[in-house]
Amino acid sequence: MDTLISTLLSGVVLGALYALMASGLSLVWTTLGVFNFAHGALMTIGAFVAWTVSEAVGLGLPAGVVAGVASAALLGVVVEYLLIRPFYGRPNMLLITVMTTLAGMIILEKGAQMIWGARLKQLPRLIDGEVSIFGAVISAHEALIIVVAPLILLALWQFTTRTYLGRSLRAVGQNQDAAALLGINVSFTFALAFGLGAALAGLTGVLLGGIRFITPSLGAEPLVKAMIVVIFGGLGSLGATVGAAFVIGLAEAFLVLTLGLYWTPFALFLGLIAVLIFRPNGLFGRV
Amino acid sequence: MAGNILEVRNLTKSFGGLKAVNDLTFDVKEGELLGIAGPNGSGKSTLFNVMTKIPFGPTGGEVVFGNQRIDRMPPHRIAALGLARTFQKDAEFPDLSARETVALAAVYGRKLSRAGAMAATEEQLHAVQFDPARADMPTTELSVFDRKQLMIASALVMQPRVLMLDEPASGLTRPEITALDALLCKIAASGVTIMLIEHVLSLLLSVAQRLIVLNQGSLLAEGDPQTVIKNPAVVEAYLGGRAA
Repeated sequence: MDTLISTLLSGVVLGALYALMASGLSLVWTTLGVFNFAHGALMTIGAFVAWTVSEAVGLGLPAGVVAGVASAALLGVVVEYLLIRPFYGRPNMLLITVMTTLAGMIILEKGAQMIWGARLKQLPRLIDGEVSIFGAVISAHEALIIVVAPLILLALWQFTTRTYLGRSLRAVGQNQDAAALLGINVSFTFALAFGLGAALAGLTGVLLGGIRFITPSLGAEPLVKAMIVVIFGGLGSLGATVGAAFVIGLAEAFLVLTLGLYWTPFALFLGLIAVLIFRPNGLFGRV
Repeated sequence: MAGNILEVRNLTKSFGGLKAVNDLTFDVKEGELLGIAGPNGSGKSTLFNVMTKIPFGPTGGEVVFGNQRIDRMPPHRIAALGLARTFQKDAEFPDLSARETVALAAVYGRKLSRAGAMAATEEQLHAVQFDPARADMPTTELSVFDRKQLMIASALVMQPRVLMLDEPASGLTRPEITALDALLCKIAASGVTIMLIEHVLSLLLSVAQRLIVLNQGSLLAEGDPQTVIKNPAVVEAYLGGRAA
C-alpha cells in the first residue's frame, strides 16, 4: 500500500513539474505557432542562475529563485528577438524556427558549460524536512511542488482568460491579422508569450534543481517530456496540457515501478503513438 | 470643401513579377464615402492590405494619413491612429466572444480603461444592432451577418477617422444587405470617412458619393458613381468582349 501511495505521489510531483514546463512550451506554440527547442536550455539557465545567486554569491534562496526565473524570462525574450522574429511571415517559418531554436538550445547548453563548468551543482531545497501523506513520506520540497505548480498554473489560466493582456495573447494566437486590426502590438505579444513561457521553464529549473543535480544538459529530458505532454494533451489548450502532464507523470511513475527505468521512455512513446493513432488531435484535443 | 484625410501616392505592391497594385495615386476626402470597385483580382483587397500593412506592406509609394506618413508604421500603430478596417473573410477569434472581441479593440485600439472599455463595448454593440443574446457566444457560433456586425463594431469602438470595409455584403441575404445599407448611412452621417469595397453594385451605388474603379492593380476610372459605372472602359473591364 505504501509503495502504491509513494508511486502515486511521485507521479503527481512529476506531473506538476511537467505541467509547469509544458505550459510554457504550449503558451509559445499557441501564440506564435513555434515549437521552442531551446525551452529546456532556458530551464537549465534558470537553475544555474538561481544556484549562482543563492550559493556562489550567497544572497540566499529567495533571491536565487527570483533571479533564476527572471533571467530565464529575459533570455526567452532575447531568443524570440534573435532567433524567431527575423523569420515571422516566412512561408517555411515552422521549419526554420525548428532549426534556429535547436541552434539556440546548443548555444545555451554549451554557454552554460563554459560559464558554470561540468561539475555537478545542486540548489538547496526550498523547504527542509519531510511530509507524510497516508503513510508515504516525501520531502517537503516535493510537497511544495505539488502545491505551488497548480497555483501558478491557475494564475496563468486566470491571466489568459480574465485580463486584457492575457486575452491579447489568445487573440494573437488565434488570428494575428485580426488582432493587429484591433490595435494589438503583435510583436510585443510574441515577446510576452516567449518571456512568460521561459519564466515557467526557469521556475521548473529552480524547483528541479532542488531534487536533481544541475548540469548543462539538465533541461534535455524535461524538454522531451514536455513535448510529449503538449502533443499528447492536444496542441493549443492550457487545460489539456496540464491534464496530460499529470497523466504522463502518473504513467511514468507507475511504469518505472512495473517496467523499470530502462523501458519507461519506450513505453511512454508507444503510448503516445497509440493515442495519436486513435485521437490525432491528442487525448484532450478537439476532434 | 473638405480636405484630404488620406493621400495615396504611387502605391505599388509586387509579388515577384506580378504588380497587384500598380503605381496607384488617389485621395480620400474627409467625411466622404468612397466606393472602390473592380473585377475579381483587380487589387482592391490588396490595396487595403498594403494601406493597413495587414498582412503585408507596400513595395513602393506613400500613404499619408492626416499629416503623417503611415506606410512605414507597424499595423497596430496605424489602427491606433484611426485607420480601421474589416476583412472580406471572417476575422473572428474562435475562443473569444463578441463582447470580449469588441472590448479588446476598445482597450488596445482606443486605450480605454477596463470600465471604459466595457461601457464602450455595450454602446457599440447596441449601435450596430448586435443581438445582445449572442454577445457572449463563441464567435464561431455566430451567423455571417453577426460576424459582419462584429467586425464593424470592433472597428468602430476604436473611434476611427477612416473605416475601410472590404466587401461587407458578401454572403448576406437581401434583408441583411438592406440593414447593412442603413448602418453604413448611419456611420457616414456620424462623420466617419468610409472606403467601401463592394461587389454588390446596387449597395455600392446607393451609398458611395465617389467611386474609383481598379483594373489589374491600376486606376481605371474615378468620379461620380453613376458616371463612372457607365464609362466604356469600366464596362469593358467588367464584361470583357460582351460590352462591345
